[in-house]
Amino acid sequence: MEYGWRAREPGAVPQDPWAWCPRGWERALPPGRVTALYFGSEFCQDALPLPERVGDWVESARDQDLVPVLLTPLVTSRGVPRVVRLLEALAGAAPRAEVVCNDVGVLRVVRSRFSGLRPRAGRVWNRALRDPRPGARPPNGEADRARRLRRFLADMGVRAIETDPDLVGGFLGAGGEGLERTLHLPFAFVASGRNCLVRADEGGGPPDDWVSGGPCGAACCKGARRILRSDVPGPLWRAGNTLFREAAEEDVRRDVVRADRVVLHEEPLP
Amino acid sequence: MTAILAPVRHPDEVAPLLSAGAREFYCGITPPFWSLEGREWANRRDPRSAGVGGEGALRRVVEEARGSPVYVTLNAPWYPGDAVEALAAYGSHLLEEVGAAALIVSDLELLLALAEWGLAHRVHLSSVAACTNSEAVRFFRDLGVRRVILPRHLALDEIGAARVPGVELEVFLLNDGCVFEEGLCATTHRLGPFCLGDGPGTEGVGAEAVDRYEFWKWTRNNCGCRTNRGIPLGPCGLCALPRFLGWGIESLKVVGREASLPRKVGSVRLAARGMEIARSGGGPEEIREAVIGMRGAAGLCEGGRLCYYPEVWRGEPRRAAC
Repeated sequence: MEYGWRAREPGAVPQDPWAWCPRGWERALPPGRVTALYFGSEFCQDALPLPERVGDWVESARDQDLVPVLLTPLVTSRGVPRVVRLLEALAGAAPRAEVVCNDVGVLRVVRSRFSGLRPRAGRVWNRALRDPRPGARPPNGEADRARRLRRFLADMGVRAIETDPDLVGGFLGAGGEGLERTLHLPFAFVASGRNCLVRADEGGGPPDDWVSGGPCGAACCKGARRILRSDVPGPLWRAGNTLFREAAEEDVRRDVVRADRVVLHEEPLP
Repeated sequence: MTAILAPVRHPDEVAPLLSAGAREFYCGITPPFWSLEGREWANRRDPRSAGVGGEGALRRVVEEARGSPVYVTLNAPWYPGDAVEALAAYGSHLLEEVGAAALIVSDLELLLALAEWGLAHRVHLSSVAACTNSEAVRFFRDLGVRRVILPRHLALDEIGAARVPGVELEVFLLNDGCVFEEGLCATTHRLGPFCLGDGPGTEGVGAEAVDRYEFWKWTRNNCGCRTNRGIPLGPCGLCALPRFLGWGIESLKVVGREASLPRKVGSVRLAARGMEIARSGGGPEEIREAVIGMRGAAGLCEGGRLCYYPEVWRGEPRRAAC
């Protein structure tokens, strides 16, 4: 097993990243070493780093003998140029770096204009349930689904598929398509969108302030907010525009045996 | 030619909606092999309240539409692996034998299966697939998809920039907002909308911001009511019609398969009136005046509170974001 580390800021990767996982999980995670440093944003185009910061991340990765991996979110037409500038900076600093594409349009851009960068299909490609409410879990899990999609991605030159533990299972498959398989832990996304309560709280604007196109103060970078709901047994986290839950240990055990890489998240980040 | 797309759940709804101005229809149907026992709904809405009653009813919907196209939703965000092949076969049956003009699909696995059946050109990509930029539209065009339904939360400039030759676009016009991005919401409406309980209980967020959030969610949820004229108080994009007509957007969606017929007819009439004004050269102000005249609730139009596209009134986006 190889491990990735997803941090808020560039810097030294912890000696024991497993310590960040909830108690008991370390038994579910096989030994291995950290090989990749993840940065960027999976869920918010306004939370992407500036191109000028890419060099810091690449340098941090290089200093620790890690592969830099740029996370990119679903983007609108306003976000595409921003991602392109990031990709240009990344290709300049680390021509063989990896790029996690959660947007099919970004994947198209990477394939057509940045052929040296190595694309990975991000966890948003897996649209299965992560609903934290009791009663959401389907009675039967899946051993293997999305085979066509994995074959299609492999044919497109995608190097890996990524997911977090959903309630269904089977997205990573059995590995027959030649794709690397990555599992994000310990947080699974529940819901995301353009409305951002954190931004609305910080800036005083309406939740649909995205229409303004105004700059975001990135209040989400100050840390996730805990959410307590009466219809959810445990806490959720609001990281900017995205809600996360802690993945269930049974789902982690189910999926980790199918993974080649586990990405450990320092905290919930959009 | 831009058309108003209306939801139906019963054949008897078609004629009144045609009279009101609808020129395209969409509906949901639960496949006969689809067990509801422990499974998610086949098309994201409760089949008991939002779906047509079966294949016979769907055939009647097609007949009643008198040549106007009828699109059928198979738009769950994901399907069990063992169901995809059967769903593709069922989709082919609906297209080739029942008279559906296209299938509305979200799950890429099902889309790829339909492409194997040679049917991608009869797929409308659901907004649940979250196609949000022109590069993504090109991606799906290359797969053969005929139409892309753009998600609700795109701003007007983003819709304009998503236009790609060879792909039809459909945009949201009236009713039923979403709090989160549909395609990025991994919860199930089977347990009730998860988003309605979101906001309160978030530590470190001020009460005033939560109040604003609650109000905004209320407007996305049609303000929980309709006017005494029978017209819903839901999200509305009518004032953007001049823009949509100028861009040649093919389809304008009225949302609400599960709604009552009076609500559907009222919504389509409102849309048709807006289209009439826009086609005769009227601008957002004239459309708003006409809408308020038909619907009432002028106060909710102030400040763009009900708007799908509030930038019509708040001004074009600042360019500093990117």
